[in-house]
Amino acid sequence: MDAIISLLLLGIFFNPVQIKAEPPKIILDVDKPLLTKIPVAVPDFLSAAPGPVSGRDLAEIIRRDLYLTAIFQIVDPTPPISTSANGEPDFDRWNQAGVQVLILGSFQTMGDELTLEVRLYDVALKKLEIGKRYSGKIRDHRRMIHRFADRVMEKLTSVPGCFSTKIAFVGDSQSREVFSMDFDGHNPAQLTRNGSINLSPDWSPDGRNIVFTSYMNGNPDALAMDLSNLSLRAVSSRPGLNASPRYSPDSNSIALSMSFNGLPKLFIVTPQGNIIKRLTEGRGNDISPAWSPDGSAIAYVSDQAGTPQIYIVPTGGGQPRRLTFNGNYNTDPDWSPRGDLLAFTTRIEGRFQICTIRTDGTDLRVLTKTGSNQDPTWSPDGRFIAFMSERDGRRRIYIMDARGEIQVPVSPITGKCPAWSRHSW
Amino acid sequence: MSSRCLTLGTIVVVALLVMSGCSRPIVKQPGPGGQGFVGTQTGGPFGEGDLQVVQANLKPIYFEYDSFTLNPEAQAAAQYNLEIIRRAPQFNIVAEGHCDERGTSEYNLALGDRRARAVVEYMSTLGIPPSKCSTVSYGSELPVDPGHNEDAWAKNRRVYLRVSR
Repeated sequence: MDAIISLLLLGIFFNPVQIKAEPPKIILDVDKPLLTKIPVAVPDFLSAAPGPVSGRDLAEIIRRDLYLTAIFQIVDPTPPISTSANGEPDFDRWNQAGVQVLILGSFQTMGDELTLEVRLYDVALKKLEIGKRYSGKIRDHRRMIHRFADRVMEKLTSVPGCFSTKIAFVGDSQSREVFSMDFDGHNPAQLTRNGSINLSPDWSPDGRNIVFTSYMNGNPDALAMDLSNLSLRAVSSRPGLNASPRYSPDSNSIALSMSFNGLPKLFIVTPQGNIIKRLTEGRGNDISPAWSPDGSAIAYVSDQAGTPQIYIVPTGGGQPRRLTFNGNYNTDPDWSPRGDLLAFTTRIEGRFQICTIRTDGTDLRVLTKTGSNQDPTWSPDGRFIAFMSERDGRRRIYIMDARGEIQVPVSPITGKCPAWSRHSW
Repeated sequence: MSSRCLTLGTIVVVALLVMSGCSRPIVKQPGPGGQGFVGTQTGGPFGEGDLQVVQANLKPIYFEYDSFTLNPEAQAAAQYNLEIIRRAPQFNIVAEGHCDERGTSEYNLALGDRRARAVVEYMSTLGIPPSKCSTVSYGSELPVDPGHNEDAWAKNRRVYLRVSR
């Protein structure tokens, strides 16, 4: 992949901030715009006989995955360059068409079974980089393709893609049930059916449980759902708020906001709900904890200074420090998987927008501009942020690349409170 | 005379809303909440069967944007409610805190909690024992007016006092 890597190097080299101390291993920096997008071609997949899925639909899944990252330019040469299921591609012609990365696929179906073969080529080097064969049910074809796209990202950026992950969210209709869906909005599944208000879902790191706040028993309680059988158990049903529960990165504890002895304050509890420690004191409402990826700190919202602002408190003990000073409404922090950034919601001219800020409080960037946008949640590879937007008049879940260049709606129904899984399926 | 008929009608409607709200207490609102007024403020005690009458007489307490302090109008509404609650010592009160739709769901939960708590604290300074009152925050999840304008938002930023046995 040397040719592609040198292209990436070139892009990074032109960015003056990055000239010094470049690590020897090349990782695409999601915070820094590439001057040139990587030209990639994914011709329609080939099949010997027509079947229930089309080669165009299969190729389109991977084309869209790569497009959404905002680091690829999808090239569709005219006239088309012919490909064959076997044998080497015509590298010279692809090269002349400006293509750096070529992905070729072929498939066959038998009954409800699908067999896929997908290859990734470096065109300049005329080299096969990845070749994979997947077999499974036709209904799982999206999962097979996403899995290959994850490998493509790993090959090109050293970090696997997040195309096999899911997003949980809350429906925004009369009742607020918890749903999950693939990261791109496909395969939606309703998880709760209690007819009540449910809020703030969060995945356990292994993807087997979801914690959330529910009014199904009349009080805002923190519940956990076992996704293998959708069974529920209470994490905390203390009087008052049991709000915004979040699993720790090691799964061993849950941070949440509870008001059983007065103001809503942050606590860390066991997954069974026993209090391990109280994290915050003082005069403010404290809510919306967000764990740092190493579990050593928690970012949260407090209005102790009169307006909601974001603070960071060490989980091992110590004083909170205030992170945000811009404006008078900053909420919903979510810590990036690499640990360097926080995404959050800010109010600008009466509307709400998604921002990122470094954990030292510098480099504030506003990523959304249209309508109102809130509830940011990072993808596990740090390449995307999901959020709720009202830009088209109703609340829906959107995703965008971490710089906000490409923003698209994904949820098939109205929704809010998105939570991106750490686990890949 | 005609105004009294109107008042009685309002009570019946509100009572029906309260009753229909009982089957799904979480999602349904117990009506817009008693602007109607029965008897005089200095009347005698309410009976055991007067729960819905008491409920219908309590006024929502409204708040300003981003605020959980009781302004003079909110204090007046709280004092009005206080007189009615004093005449019904057999009932308990749940202060439900609500916010308008703007802002994030989670911070609005905290804000609604704070509003409900502020009302209970204010009433306790005027002699209603805190043991008689509990709070629940619905954040911005149960707007009484589904509109997306200042009128609707003003109605939705409220603490609603729910009477229970």
